[in-house]
Amino acid sequence: MGLCSCDGLDIPNENGLSTGLFWKTQDDLNAGMNAVYGMFYRQGTWTRNIHVQLNGMADDGVSYAGWTEVAEWTKFKYTDYSFWEVPKKIWAEHYTAINRANQVLDHIDDPEIKFDSEENRQLIKGQTLWLRSFYYFYLTILWDTEPLLLTTSSAGDKPSNSSEDQIFTKLEENLTEAAELLPLKWGPDDLGRPTKGSAYALLAKVYAQHHKWKEAAECLEWIIDGEGRNLYSLVANWHDNFDPRTEDNSESLYEIHFSLCNYVGFDQTDNYLDPNAQLATQLECLQSPKGEGWNNIECNRWVMEYFKREKTVDGKNDPRLYYTCWYAESDADFPEYGVQLIYNKTWDQYKYSAADNKRVFIKKYSTDVVPLYYFTDNNYRSLRLADMLLLYADALNELNNGPTAKAIECVDRVRTRVNLPKLAESRYYTDPRILTDHDAFLEHLKIERGLELAFECIRWMDLKRWGFTDKNLADLRERDADYNAFEQNKHERLPIPQIEVDNNPNLEQNLNY
Amino acid sequence: MMKRLLSAVAALLVTVTVFAQSGIKGNVVASDGEPLPGVVVTTGDGSAKTGVSTDIDGKFSINAPAGDLLEFSCIGYKPVRVEAFEGMTVVIEEDVKLLDEAVVIGYGTVKKKDLLGSVSTVRQQSLQDRKSGGVISSMQGLVSGVNITSSGQPGSYASIQIRGIGSFTGNSPLFIVDGSYGGNELGLNVEDIESIQILKDASSASIYGSRAASGVVIITTKKGNSNGLKVKFDGNTQLYWLPRYDLMDAETYKKYDDLAYTNAILQGVSGVKHLQNHYEGDTDWQDAMLRTALLQNYNVSFSGGGKESNYYASINYKDDSGALQYTGFNQIGFRINTSGRKGIFEFGENFFFTSSKTDNLNGNPWSEFIAMPPTVPLYDETHPGGYGYGNADRANTYALNPLAENEFAHGVNTQKYLYGDVYGKIDFIKNILNAKVNVSYKNYFGQTDLVRKKGNWAMGQGDDAAHIQYSTAYHNKLLVEPTLNYNQVVGRHSIGAVAGYSYDFFHEDYRSETKLDPLVVGDKYITSFNSATGNQTCTGSYIEYALMSYFGRINYSFDDRYLLQFTGRRDGTSRLPEAQRWGTFGSASLGWRISREAFFNVPWIDELKLRANFGTLGNSNIGAWDYMATINTAPRAVFGKDGKVIGKTQSNLTNLDLEWEKKTTANIGVDFAALDTRFNASLEYYYSRSTDLLLAVPILLTTGNEGGAPTVNAGSLQNTGFELEAGWHDTKGDFSYSVNANLSTTYNKILSFGYGSTVQYTSVSKSEIGKPLGIWYLYKTDGIFQDAGEVQAHVNSEGKVIQPDAMPGDIRYVDTNDDGQISSEDRQVIEGKSPWAKLYAGLNLTCAWKGIDLSVTSYGRFGQWVYNGARAAAADFSTNQNNFNDYVPWTQEVHSDIIPRPVYGDTRNSRADQDRWLENGSFFRFSDITLGYSIPDQLLRKIKFDQIRFALTAKNLITLTKYSGLDPEFSDGGIYTIGYDGCSFPNPKAVQLAVSFTF
Repeated sequence: MGLCSCDGLDIPNENGLSTGLFWKTQDDLNAGMNAVYGMFYRQGTWTRNIHVQLNGMADDGVSYAGWTEVAEWTKFKYTDYSFWEVPKKIWAEHYTAINRANQVLDHIDDPEIKFDSEENRQLIKGQTLWLRSFYYFYLTILWDTEPLLLTTSSAGDKPSNSSEDQIFTKLEENLTEAAELLPLKWGPDDLGRPTKGSAYALLAKVYAQHHKWKEAAECLEWIIDGEGRNLYSLVANWHDNFDPRTEDNSESLYEIHFSLCNYVGFDQTDNYLDPNAQLATQLECLQSPKGEGWNNIECNRWVMEYFKREKTVDGKNDPRLYYTCWYAESDADFPEYGVQLIYNKTWDQYKYSAADNKRVFIKKYSTDVVPLYYFTDNNYRSLRLADMLLLYADALNELNNGPTAKAIECVDRVRTRVNLPKLAESRYYTDPRILTDHDAFLEHLKIERGLELAFECIRWMDLKRWGFTDKNLADLRERDADYNAFEQNKHERLPIPQIEVDNNPNLEQNLNY
Repeated sequence: MMKRLLSAVAALLVTVTVFAQSGIKGNVVASDGEPLPGVVVTTGDGSAKTGVSTDIDGKFSINAPAGDLLEFSCIGYKPVRVEAFEGMTVVIEEDVKLLDEAVVIGYGTVKKKDLLGSVSTVRQQSLQDRKSGGVISSMQGLVSGVNITSSGQPGSYASIQIRGIGSFTGNSPLFIVDGSYGGNELGLNVEDIESIQILKDASSASIYGSRAASGVVIITTKKGNSNGLKVKFDGNTQLYWLPRYDLMDAETYKKYDDLAYTNAILQGVSGVKHLQNHYEGDTDWQDAMLRTALLQNYNVSFSGGGKESNYYASINYKDDSGALQYTGFNQIGFRINTSGRKGIFEFGENFFFTSSKTDNLNGNPWSEFIAMPPTVPLYDETHPGGYGYGNADRANTYALNPLAENEFAHGVNTQKYLYGDVYGKIDFIKNILNAKVNVSYKNYFGQTDLVRKKGNWAMGQGDDAAHIQYSTAYHNKLLVEPTLNYNQVVGRHSIGAVAGYSYDFFHEDYRSETKLDPLVVGDKYITSFNSATGNQTCTGSYIEYALMSYFGRINYSFDDRYLLQFTGRRDGTSRLPEAQRWGTFGSASLGWRISREAFFNVPWIDELKLRANFGTLGNSNIGAWDYMATINTAPRAVFGKDGKVIGKTQSNLTNLDLEWEKKTTANIGVDFAALDTRFNASLEYYYSRSTDLLLAVPILLTTGNEGGAPTVNAGSLQNTGFELEAGWHDTKGDFSYSVNANLSTTYNKILSFGYGSTVQYTSVSKSEIGKPLGIWYLYKTDGIFQDAGEVQAHVNSEGKVIQPDAMPGDIRYVDTNDDGQISSEDRQVIEGKSPWAKLYAGLNLTCAWKGIDLSVTSYGRFGQWVYNGARAAAADFSTNQNNFNDYVPWTQEVHSDIIPRPVYGDTRNSRADQDRWLENGSFFRFSDITLGYSIPDQLLRKIKFDQIRFALTAKNLITLTKYSGLDPEFSDGGIYTIGYDGCSFPNPKAVQLAVSFTF
């Protein structure tokens, strides 16, 4: 503490590494990329809220959450645009992920940094580009006009809106590059990283949302009939797609890896400074049936009813129904499975009132862990082959103004896997136009996709792609009363968190909000 | 000097009789050790009273037995009573007149008449019935320009703001205890306080440099005086309780909840098909959680000393049983202050140690009281742990059972402070030049032990693991401060100067460890980490900072008429980047004592002084390393099967170019004393302007920033205000009384913002350049739609129906932008309803007659509009919260124009950002009314006591307000939402009985 020197005022901070010393090596960039993956495990991303928001808005899911505002946000009733729990967390945490990715991408081409090999550099760049695109894709599905930020943020940034077209165009460019850089396969310890197939699958979805059917079809062709043919196939047991014991199977093009290795014992997420923060998902707690867990999201009854319209080739109910829904008549509909237990209780033991007995709960992704804990480690299959097959059918139908043989073959692959007859042989879908007419095929595809992919956060983007026309809305209103509140040219997208619009003169609120 | 001459003359006159006596011999000296002639020494009572006087050498001899009480009195000195013994030396102190009273101004004192800054003083007499709380809350209502808000929780501290908000980074003033820097509260015991001075303006505070930008509170603790041992006991016992909401019972609740469901079903709210199958309970959650608490506080002090040394030692014990279940607080403290003198040397030290234990409250029960339906039973065997809470069918709510929440997660916080400060002083030239070195060291250890038992307190809670957690915070603080003092009077010139250096270093360490699955034996959770069997995790971090300063001050006065003061300080801080580390700040003050001028000849005016000052202070009260960007190494991800990898990234954005925040204050004041100083008043006006404010300006979510907004030198803020303190005191025979009043106003205005912004929003407020901070910005309501016709008639200028979906009984919102719909564009500044108080006032009355004394402390704030978060939380049955008994909503039968119809599952009427939740928050509170009784002197003499007093105090029993919330004096929501009462913890009401005696 000398009287004459300033040494006493130079106090280093050893709680964290100074940024000036970072972003210098391959290891730094690799760790920077890992931090982007780390954003999967947050309340505004894949641990919690995005599931309720996407499935709840779509016509397959419905929310009767006791937290009124959470439910209202899935019903096109937005009172507080800055509602913290859902829109603000989703918006904020996606941008955190994007800023983490931007930090890596700002340094990845720095010639000063020595990589062990060019391949290592490419792998980091490819994964990071893919991850950033993945987060932007969901932001765009929800908001359409969010700012497209591609470099590391500064505190004073005040970005303006981007258009959906601008964003998708950039994602297409980035994912095309990622597909070049990413490998066909990863070793067992690296499962959970995107592959070339993941890149083409996500790219196909972006193109499809962008109505660039030709480009979408090219990507899907790579997956289905190109190099991907040797890598991907439908699994024999449909429910293997949602079972923690059969993760990373041949149907999976990308899955978010969850783990209970950071077991903290209680509901703790979103602490960005805690190395022990959870790496698991709360999906099961969110969609648990009434009387268990949070019960924030459940099934609209039509999903169950539609499943029951068509029987398998041996005259039984569609097995997908058994693994998709919990409902009162399930035991009667599937006698071959015996009495099923829902968290150690039979349906009847829940003693639901007459009205509640008509409710249908979501079984997909449930693990039957008893008692229900906040977290499970069941990987989330974000991109799977059945989706790609049906999307390919959609694209081919659009490109050829009617279903091609290939399109019908894709649909049949999805149907026959669960023992349903080929479309041409269906005893329920007997209208011959389905096999020939663009519109009839598309209408049928809506049902096929709706049942196969229910509650996989896919339905909302499908609805958006097909458009909220008067006719489509009329159909939706029949299936989901929430759509009575839907206003065209407004509710296709969420309101931007008001606090962002208020504090950023360059950002405009979405149309009509 | 005049007094001494007079007493010497008196001594000569009585000398002859004095030496005719024999018995006890002794001498009397003044506090500076000089012998005092002419002091009257008496013994006995009434007619038996006899007396002698001291001689020219201060010696006396009196015919009295050893152990008898002798009284010493002399004009201009305070009388003292001392037990007689042979060879005794008695020190008597000057009875200082108001204008000659010393005021501590930092590294020295000045007489009140020479004071140039704005300083308020609180003396120990004012604190005598306020010893059970903390130091800050003891000052409440006593001084102007100071805003104190207590929080009411056991073991928690009040907050203090001097002259409004001048900074965004902590508006807490600097605390100086016996010349050393203290923290906010320090566990200091009110009983040990001799006086508190509050320095409000730049000229007074600037000697303390950068940390004084929000003012300085100087606390002087008691020292021993020189007349043998004095023992003082002080004990008080308080019964206190917390105010309660007037909430519905189960029957009333069910009536409205059913109505809300019926309306929802009629309206077709998705998923609502039938009424709730209500639980049969009728729980008064407040009854279950609240209780009357017993607060006890005891002090014993020993003080004394002699010519060369003195001492003060005290012990304090406090016990608070807590007005909420599971809470409580106790504290034990010791203090030792001693000092000694020998020739030109002087030394001294102050030591104190405090140890406290707090049973922490988990959660905020005040919001749960509202959230939890009264139908839910307190206990429910079917739930894990056996407590009642929501159920999807019977009471669809995620509200927390406050009792269970505290039963299953209970934390105990123990804190230990050790504080020591040692000084040495050399008088090179007596009373003219001295040097002093002060070294102080503070050590703090705080620890929280948490036990999380198995058991749930809310619907939807998962299967939480039991665990134990041990968290600690440890800090130490070192201050080294040499100073040089010079004072000399040459003719009519009086000169004073101080120069010094200061180095201050702070280090704090945090650790937290958690282990799952503690051993359970029967019902008992074993808290040993070794016996727990589950996963364990730990975290830890530290902070460190230092401040280095050079400072000086010159005071000059000519003929006691013209006063001048200059202060300068150069501060270097570790909290700013190297290039910006050093800042130089200073102030200048002028004073003119008009009453000393020859032309001024108004005999009844004792003092009239004009003073003005101007100065700049720096502030760097930000995080230790806010100017450094760091990499967060916490992110993790998994690949393969449980293959965890480490991620690193910059989470928190940083501004690397931070510099000193500067606050410039101009202050003018008038001091006035009249009628033999029975009346005195000070009037002040101040203007302050803070620039380069160090502020964590909220940044956009699109930046992806995590961990709070980064600090930036953002914009500037202006504060202006008036302060008036006035007092009158008088004595008529046995009756004495005093009235002291203080009034202050403060007005702030934003001059600019960071990052080029012109406006900042929160969900309920707007802060705009040219306006005060945090003005309410809400949807404006315009009554209730009484029928369908009114819904159709609510149109914009183009005739478009604004709320086509509204039903009779819904709120009519104002379509501010006239676009024919209600959207975020319709929020508006609520004119005439500022969250800022227009006037702060305090009024203190005391009177005494013979042994009886009465004092009343009261204060208030006027003109502020506050947001009643409890009303907003109750949310009109849109969820299943409880509501208040004055809730009479719109129904088909009863057409309310204020409260809308209840609808479950629909937030259209209950949105948080509407003006319906604003209320006039003005209040005037009688915080302390004390009636005391002291045993008369004659009786005291017989039992050889100096003083015995009993007092009864009523605390916060009377509050005048229209505010319908629990307490109009609440901890607010921060600078952007200053009037936001979000179910804040209310202040307790209490009755206190105190006993004190000295012998």
